[in-house]
Amino acid sequence: MPGIDRRVIQNFEWPALGLGIAIALMGVANLVSAAHDQGGVIPASALRQLAWLGAGLITLMIVLIPDYRSLERVTPALYSVGVLALIAVLFFAPIINGSQRWLVFGPASLQPSEMMKLVIVLVFARILHRRPPNSEMGLFDLLGPGLLVAAPVALVLRQPDLGTAMIIAIIAGTYVLLGRVRLQLLMWLTAIAIAGGTVAWTFYLHDYQKERVFTFLDPERDPLGTAYHAIQSQIAVGSGGLFGKGFTRGSQSQLDFLPEQQTDFVFSVLGEEWGFVGATVVLVFYLALMMRGLMIARASKDLYGAYIALGVTSIFFWSGAINVGMVVGVLPVVGVPLPFFSRGGSSLVTCLGGIGLLMNVSMRRYVF
Amino acid sequence: MSHLGGSQSPVEDVLDRRIISAALLIVAFWIVLISRLFYLQVLQADRYGISAQRNSVRTYRVEADRGIIKDRNGEILVDSRPSFDVMVVADQTDELPATLRRVAVLTGENPDEVIERFGRPSGRRRFLTLPVVTDLDRSAYARVEVRLPWLTGVIPQASRVRFYPHGESAAHLLGTLGEISQKELTDRTYQGYRQGDVIGKEGIERLWDRELRGQTGGRNVVVDAHGREFETLSEVEPKPGSNVVLTLDYRLQRVAEEGLAETGKSGAVVAIDPRNGEVLVFASRPAYDPNLFARGGVDSVTWRGLRDDPKKPLHNRALQGQFPPGSVYKVVPALAGLERGIITEDFTVNCTGGYSLGRRRYRCWKKEGHGVVNVHKALVQSCDVFFYRVGDILEVDVLAHYAKALGLGSPTGIGLRDESRGLVPTRAWKERRFNQRWLEGETISLAIGQGFNLWTPIQMANAYASLANGGTRYRPHVIKRVEDPYGEIVTETEPEVLGQVEISKASLEIVKQGLWGVANEPRGTAYRLHQLPGGVQAAGKTGTAQVVGMPKDPVDEKDIPEEFMDHAWFAAYAPHDNPEIAIAVLVEHGGHGGSAAAPIAKKVFETYFAGRVPPPPVPPAQEAKLSAGN
Repeated sequence: MPGIDRRVIQNFEWPALGLGIAIALMGVANLVSAAHDQGGVIPASALRQLAWLGAGLITLMIVLIPDYRSLERVTPALYSVGVLALIAVLFFAPIINGSQRWLVFGPASLQPSEMMKLVIVLVFARILHRRPPNSEMGLFDLLGPGLLVAAPVALVLRQPDLGTAMIIAIIAGTYVLLGRVRLQLLMWLTAIAIAGGTVAWTFYLHDYQKERVFTFLDPERDPLGTAYHAIQSQIAVGSGGLFGKGFTRGSQSQLDFLPEQQTDFVFSVLGEEWGFVGATVVLVFYLALMMRGLMIARASKDLYGAYIALGVTSIFFWSGAINVGMVVGVLPVVGVPLPFFSRGGSSLVTCLGGIGLLMNVSMRRYVF
Repeated sequence: MSHLGGSQSPVEDVLDRRIISAALLIVAFWIVLISRLFYLQVLQADRYGISAQRNSVRTYRVEADRGIIKDRNGEILVDSRPSFDVMVVADQTDELPATLRRVAVLTGENPDEVIERFGRPSGRRRFLTLPVVTDLDRSAYARVEVRLPWLTGVIPQASRVRFYPHGESAAHLLGTLGEISQKELTDRTYQGYRQGDVIGKEGIERLWDRELRGQTGGRNVVVDAHGREFETLSEVEPKPGSNVVLTLDYRLQRVAEEGLAETGKSGAVVAIDPRNGEVLVFASRPAYDPNLFARGGVDSVTWRGLRDDPKKPLHNRALQGQFPPGSVYKVVPALAGLERGIITEDFTVNCTGGYSLGRRRYRCWKKEGHGVVNVHKALVQSCDVFFYRVGDILEVDVLAHYAKALGLGSPTGIGLRDESRGLVPTRAWKERRFNQRWLEGETISLAIGQGFNLWTPIQMANAYASLANGGTRYRPHVIKRVEDPYGEIVTETEPEVLGQVEISKASLEIVKQGLWGVANEPRGTAYRLHQLPGGVQAAGKTGTAQVVGMPKDPVDEKDIPEEFMDHAWFAAYAPHDNPEIAIAVLVEHGGHGGSAAAPIAKKVFETYFAGRVPPPPVPPAQEAKLSAGN
């Protein structure tokens, strides 16, 4: 097989794989409890998640086989397929809870917007490493990349799925910071964005329109009154105490007081049932995974690999930080899944695909 | 990190500082998250969690009031009534059996029975507030209330229980409640439902469950070790369910049910407004009391009793019962014969009490014969020989064509679960089903409504409604509208035309004159309907459907055991000239349609037309025309 080399096997990337699988397994166990009320020893949705874990590991292995450098060539094709899939979603996807997200293939349904996160990582890694190192980006350098990310963001907003669109945009933004942007330009852009947003918000939108914008972008937002999600999840987490109430014993979670407790608010089930100790342990696993991602980036033999590793790490960081921040009440409620933990096959496959990219970069650091 | 990369890496020159900044940012944010967790879970534990004083957050679900079901005139058919209950959350009791024992003693119940009935909740049920003793009187309730400080996990609760004020009335239509099943939980229809939810299991309760149930609310309260609430953390008001207004007319429903009850037999009555398909009566007997299921299910003893009752009270005869139609069917060969030009208004047959084909002789129900009979007289007096003759000439598939046009042989589409299809036999059907050729003699018995024909009472009512309104087949419906709790209309059912029976006005008029004669000519088989309030005239057809083959020799009817007695049918509509109500009555093993089924229809008509003022006298010319058919 091309690209498989003795050194690749010798440098097998155990830490990232181990951390990824460990977090995913904790996630499935937590789902068993969150979906407890569906009955059965292992509830159907946890079983499905387990099947998706298998699919994710297969994806991981596929991602591992070719040398990551060969991905650069196929990136435009991947991007086109991703955008076409997002367009297809708007035409063919069934409307579930007021938005269209999934392409249905027999028993499985895929969420192209999740896969788009990895595609955007590849797109920006390619753009950045093709630029002369240490050159600063000006306004015109940002135009092309800006359009490349605007297309999927607009399509995902159209579904509507504010959370995922935001994550895609933030990943792109992270790359802008990683590459060198002329500091002045960056400040100007930020200033213009803030000013424009504020003006529009203050002068052109009535309160009810703002509310409509929120509800339009995120229909699941607060169906039961202001801040209901946030309050409920803090009560659940808080009532967990130091050591938690025990597996499947969280009364907040078991009584379904938590909306979306299998998806966006899955961390609150963990907090209630495993307490401060359990939640912190899981957060430390995430932290270890992200640190490993940064180490892989730093050790990469080329900039392209480093940018890939940084991008994957940024997916984990932003999704994790925004999700947990929302659950514990330090960030506003936005529908962003917790990597590896939230129910949903596409998200899990994307995360494990990301692990595969990290491993690919790491294992080929001595192969030239 | 140095063990990973060599110092020659180009990455370090370009990205090193940025990677370190990223690491710092990540660690910093993670410190924020962990600190916040520490604040919520450790520092604020008194407020939210299990502290040394055993304060805890208790969560109550507050069920929404289930919507009311009313008849078309606002008569309440299903409501909720208050009930004082004592509930227990198993997870919060110190010791479950001891707690149950004390509750039982306080309320005057047998402790061992209460403990056994309550069982040991497991899984999610540990956290649910489950009933221990229900429907308490005030003083027993008060005895529990004052001892609450010593009864951890016990919650007295004034709840609302589903209430069917008219008991068995329309039970099959209104439906029952029960706990959601494992299978339903995985069904897309029940997306968003939870284990333990009480849902509509049958009838309207099931079909309109989402609208009726409203939205469950809840309260998070902080309670101390004695169960005293001292702070409400958050509260979500439940949203009451919508009310469902049926097309049913309870006055008519009750009359129909009483009529069936008087026969002492099983049966069904369906009445439909021929102008729009609204179902006015939907009765099936025997029925059951849906109040048995009102708390979300029924105990297994009662359930087995209902299920295994040989009279089958759970069986919805109006929707699912399939019966041979008997002479009610004769409108089909009459229409088919007239339309295909095989008979005319003046075509006659001499009835001598029987009809011979080959070696077989088919008997008329009237031994001595009807004499010379045309189609009008054949319908009025239900002469079998006339229709044997028609059946002898007609092709079976032609009969099937007109039967199907009237909506027979397929569900009416009323929307209730498990509606039967009935059966309209054809040549192809018999070859498929029995791998046998159709025999010509079979068409002859078919023509008087025997043979393979099977109709449901609702099909019968809808077919006669189509005859009544000149051939339009509406989809029968039971929901008039759904209103939110404030009376705003959520949905309203519009009449839906399913098809148009392609029959000439002339043929239809001849048949309708015959049906008029049945109820208004002295020799008509339902002459008892000739005097309705307000001078209203009905039209209809009696039917007496054989359960077993006709015996060779006539036997005294009194000697026939009940299970071999004929089914009595009557289908009718009124007023004859401008129909407002069509009805089908079936009395199982009731004997003659004219004597067993027609009186029930008569009572329903009398109630419907009660107080109606007679129209101005009919002009003489028209009167002459009407009596000409006599």
